[in-house]
Amino acid sequence: MPWITKPSGTMKVARRNEPYLTPEIRAGLERDILPRYEKKQGALLPTLHAVQHRWGWLPWQALEEIAAFLGLSPAEVWDTASFYEEYWLQPKGSTLIAVCRSIACECRDHTKVTEACKARLGIDVGDTTDDGKFTLVEVECLGSCDTAPVALFNHTLHENLTPEGVSKLIDGAAAGEHHH
Amino acid sequence: MPNWTPKTTSPVLTQRIPCWPFADPKGRRTIPLDEYTRTGGYTALRKAVETLTPEQVTEEVKKSVLRGRGGAGFPTGLKWTFLPKPDADGEGGVRYLAVNADESEPATFKDRLLMDFDPHLMLEGIALCCYACRIQTAYIYIRGEYHHQAMVLEKAIREAYAAGIFGTQGLLNGARTRNRDRAWAVECHVHRGAGAYICGEETGLLESLEGKRGWPRNKPPFPAIKGLFGRPTIINNVETLAHLPFIIGQGADAFMQQGCESTFKGAPPSYGTKLMGVSGHVNRPGCYECDLGIPLKVLIESKDYCNGMRNGKRFKGAIAGGISMGVLGPDQMDAEMDFDIGRKYNVLGLGTACPTVFDQDTDMVAVARNIARFFKHESCGQCTPCREGSGWLYQLMTRIEDGQGRTKDLDLALEIATSMGAMPGTTICGLADGNNWAIRTIMNKYRDEFEARVKPTFVPVKLSVGAGAR
Repeated sequence: MPWITKPSGTMKVARRNEPYLTPEIRAGLERDILPRYEKKQGALLPTLHAVQHRWGWLPWQALEEIAAFLGLSPAEVWDTASFYEEYWLQPKGSTLIAVCRSIACECRDHTKVTEACKARLGIDVGDTTDDGKFTLVEVECLGSCDTAPVALFNHTLHENLTPEGVSKLIDGAAAGEHHH
Repeated sequence: MPNWTPKTTSPVLTQRIPCWPFADPKGRRTIPLDEYTRTGGYTALRKAVETLTPEQVTEEVKKSVLRGRGGAGFPTGLKWTFLPKPDADGEGGVRYLAVNADESEPATFKDRLLMDFDPHLMLEGIALCCYACRIQTAYIYIRGEYHHQAMVLEKAIREAYAAGIFGTQGLLNGARTRNRDRAWAVECHVHRGAGAYICGEETGLLESLEGKRGWPRNKPPFPAIKGLFGRPTIINNVETLAHLPFIIGQGADAFMQQGCESTFKGAPPSYGTKLMGVSGHVNRPGCYECDLGIPLKVLIESKDYCNGMRNGKRFKGAIAGGISMGVLGPDQMDAEMDFDIGRKYNVLGLGTACPTVFDQDTDMVAVARNIARFFKHESCGQCTPCREGSGWLYQLMTRIEDGQGRTKDLDLALEIATSMGAMPGTTICGLADGNNWAIRTIMNKYRDEFEARVKPTFVPVKLSVGAGAR
């Protein structure tokens, strides 16, 4: 529900001296992404992706830096960033587990997969574990209905999941197995 | 099983992907450029650039009556002709192609197959479209969840640039085009979305490409006149573009041999093959390529495709093609999967032709609740009837599922559903129509299940009143 907003007048912004939009990210964007678009705002989604890829989420300070970088107002950047589900405006765990809950996965018992995740991690859907390693969410269709139920571990799609299988995957990720 | 024989003997879109006749998905791999070229790839593009004018390419596509594979089924060639006429120099100013690879419709996974395993087929289609419509820049808008597919595409585009297909030197290493004796240069980029279903709506997609929230625009002006960054823009689906190499390479007549005519007089035909992704309670869910017009029953029961219902259960219903198209009822298993399906079987249309099949044990109230939750979650919030209505429908469906519903809730749900959408004229885009049709067809076709779950609105009390009392 992207239209639900929070009052921002009394918002406290955490700041730090080093920029989130590092010179490397900036140079990469200027070289590869900005020339692709007629207007600078077109590069906003790729820029948000790049910054989130580096830091795991998008702090308010990062949004301000992106606004300055693309010649936009911070409100315009916030407007876009808050609309899309994939942009995290608060910190999330280093492994994001996104279980598909749409119709084809529900037909094939995705609820058991979610329950297995909840039991293994000891958290509810939408929460992050205390050690900051895992965030569990349920998302709409991941476009792999023939191999339902499916879940994304960060950028890796796991198909034909079973409750035991997903627990094993979580064990692997907790032991440091890398998911891009 | 109904008597039906395929007209197409060899696959067209999946000729390099083992998937029809049935093959183990494990045998699939991404086709690199050299293998694609070796197996006849980019010959259609060469034929078009060296021997045909852009007008002739458009004419061929128009003749083939290729209908858009993204859901609406709008004739592609006709869409191209809506672009403003080029100037005397043969140029039309800055124009864009936006490739719709935002495949977010639940139950739909056909474009993923093409992007995963044969990305160059789509790139050749993009080049053909750009040549025919005098477009300089193409953006592939791919949904954010397709991480792997975006990587595959970016690699394929790098290969294509290195081989001189795209880039400033002009298509095919600056081959002289027939009409102008000059090269035609095309740039092609991947643009990743960030998880919003509404960005699959064509103007929502354009807004998202411009770096704004994906709120659909009011039409007119249509994108072909004023689209991305205010320029004329063509928006085509991945599968539509993947058909172009065959149509240009083999000719429109070969394409018209496949598929079927419409059974309605004067209605546009359904030529060609279509990727149909079957999911749900079948033995072999997967993406298959078949002629348009294949009966759903054949698709489910044939050994070439899904090989029957799982555990030998009976068929209860199926989503017609992406959940916004509505549901085919228990007696509609014979439905022919072509663009007439909407008029014949009381669903919205063919959509993406990706059915999810339900067996006898499926709880249709739960299906309705799942679908209502999806639309509530994905409504962009721009138009009030959709934003509020989708939430109300979800609440009603949850209440009925929990056994707390009343009989009047059924009528209320239908009333809410019918009053929202672009067709009643209360919203900008068609998302609410999808919600409307999905909920309405389920409630009408499985009315008894809903009625069994609700309590009566008026509870009879054993009290006698009036003259008849004894």
